[in-house]
Amino acid sequence: MVREPPKVLTSSGGETKGQGVALPVMVYPAQDSPLLDALMDGESVHQLLVDSRGDYAVFMLDSNGIVASWNKGAEQIKGYSRDEIVGRHFSVFYPAEDRTRGKPERELVIAARDGRFEDEGKRVRKDGSEFWANVVLSAVRDRTDALVGFVKVTRDLTEERAARERALTNAQALEAVNAELEAFTYSVSHDLRAPIRQIEGFSKILEEHLGKSLDPQVEHYLRRIQDGSQQMGRLVDDLLHLAQLGRQHAKPRLTSLDSLIDEVLTNLRAEIMERDVKCRVGALPTVVCDPGLMKVVFTNLVSNAVKYTRRREKAVIEIGHVVKDGEPVIYVRDNGVGFDMKYADKLFGVFQRLHRAEEFEGAGVGLATVSRIIRKHNGTIWAEAAPDQGATFFFTLGTAAPDETTHTG
Amino acid sequence: MNSKRSIQMLLAEDNASDADLILASLAKVGLAEVIHVVHDGVETLDFLFCRGEYADRLQEPSIRVIVLDVKLPKVDGFEVLRELKADARTRSIPVVMLTSSNIERDVARGYQLGVNSYLQKPIDFERFRETVRHLGLYWMTMNEPPPVWSRIGAGQ
Ligand SMILES: Nc1ncnc2c1ncn2[C@@H]1O[C@H](COP(=O)(O)OP(=O)(O)OP(=O)(O)O)[C@@H](O)[C@H]1O
Ligand SMILES: [Mg+2]
Repeated sequence: MVREPPKVLTSSGGETKGQGVALPVMVYPAQDSPLLDALMDGESVHQLLVDSRGDYAVFMLDSNGIVASWNKGAEQIKGYSRDEIVGRHFSVFYPAEDRTRGKPERELVIAARDGRFEDEGKRVRKDGSEFWANVVLSAVRDRTDALVGFVKVTRDLTEERAARERALTNAQALEAVNAELEAFTYSVSHDLRAPIRQIEGFSKILEEHLGKSLDPQVEHYLRRIQDGSQQMGRLVDDLLHLAQLGRQHAKPRLTSLDSLIDEVLTNLRAEIMERDVKCRVGALPTVVCDPGLMKVVFTNLVSNAVKYTRRREKAVIEIGHVVKDGEPVIYVRDNGVGFDMKYADKLFGVFQRLHRAEEFEGAGVGLATVSRIIRKHNGTIWAEAAPDQGATFFFTLGTAAPDETTHTG
Repeated sequence: MNSKRSIQMLLAEDNASDADLILASLAKVGLAEVIHVVHDGVETLDFLFCRGEYADRLQEPSIRVIVLDVKLPKVDGFEVLRELKADARTRSIPVVMLTSSNIERDVARGYQLGVNSYLQKPIDFERFRETVRHLGLYWMTMNEPPPVWSRIGAGQ
């Protein structure tokens, strides 16, 4: 008897999606021999298609869910040999609780109705051990659209799932560690405040008690104690601020940087007026950002510019923006002492300074704060400078999503 | 601390150095002698309700302000506040909370429990001294104490 070779088609719902695989489905001429027979005989083609894939259990069920064929992958994954399993109902692959709830039968109904059913869940091996599986069940129909059975492809996802879970717990652990670190910094800087005040306070009181009779050397030492404690106080405050920043989420909204910079410059007026500092402010864009945090950014950048132009007779600070690749790049430029680009990678580190404290006071926290804020906005910050040639700080703000409920500016 | 003049401020502060600094700050404005220092929450309540080591103390109507550190050993500042606001004998004495934290949650809790003022200890000593002096002068000399205050002694 000459039989037309079966045509391989893809079943209706068999498109590759997620963990699923494209399913080859055999369609036989309708006038041919009994359907189950056809299914069984088609196995040679089937075998060709699937035996190469040891990580997939590919087998067929008749329309009642009785296992009709078996491949090597199935044997590997499920542990049954072909002889052991063919002829048995496929519900043996399900955990007992699924079986009692009629899950296997329900899946067949859905697959018959929709052409395809996909699921991820626990399945049972021959030895009773469980594994995590991706299952795709596809209905096989003949030309007259009569249901002849199902092709079932099962993939063992145990490893994948474990890896996914590991990745997740790693991320969670990292987040927890970060939160803990920030909480620690917060409480440490907090608890350091009191003793610092006490050192400063008692040295002041001591100075007052000793009064005029103070030995110049003693006075000098007392000054040193006070300077030290004051500096420590500032460091702790800056750290505290930085820690608080870490705990804070950016609340982005549409913000006019034009009016924001006006506010910042007003607040810095005293510093700016003290010397002859010229501020040139160009047009600034309206962007999506956290206005409070953005004020911190500009305040730090502008007060740095004021500080590091101190030796200039005519200090000029320029604030503006350019558009690069369709994105605004905001800059703060000064004509101050600048720095050697060799050390540029240190700029944004906590407590990293490029100038000595005798020349320019500071803790080295300002730019660390700024870069954290920019990072929170998915932006980038960089600088260009040369010794004695001034410095320019550039930043972008990425594409922070606005909080639709609030708008300013 | 001094028995000759009646106590006008009860200072609950477990940190001896901070207590000293507060007393030194108030000494300059002549208020140090009318302050009594207690060192934990239990002692604070014992003092106010004349219990324990303060059993012999007469419930004086003279206390114009209680300055309460938030972080007190044994019974914390909030608990002390809750108890003294719940008792008719002590309810109307103004309470100022002093803290080194400005954690919003704490501030809110203080006000919910009926604190009259909530101050963060400034880290800078000069500002700390200023703050403490203002506090002392305001509550012990400027503020008009509640009329109920004069009846407290009769309570019990
Ligand atoms: N406009 C500038 N011109 C030249 N050098 C600068 C400029 N801005 C920053 N720097 C260098 O980068 C270092 C880090 O700056 P950052 O603002 O973090 O610290 P700081 O200004 O020293 O202290 P503070 O914590 O008070 O801001 C500075 O110490 C300085 O050496
Ligand atoms: Mg700075």
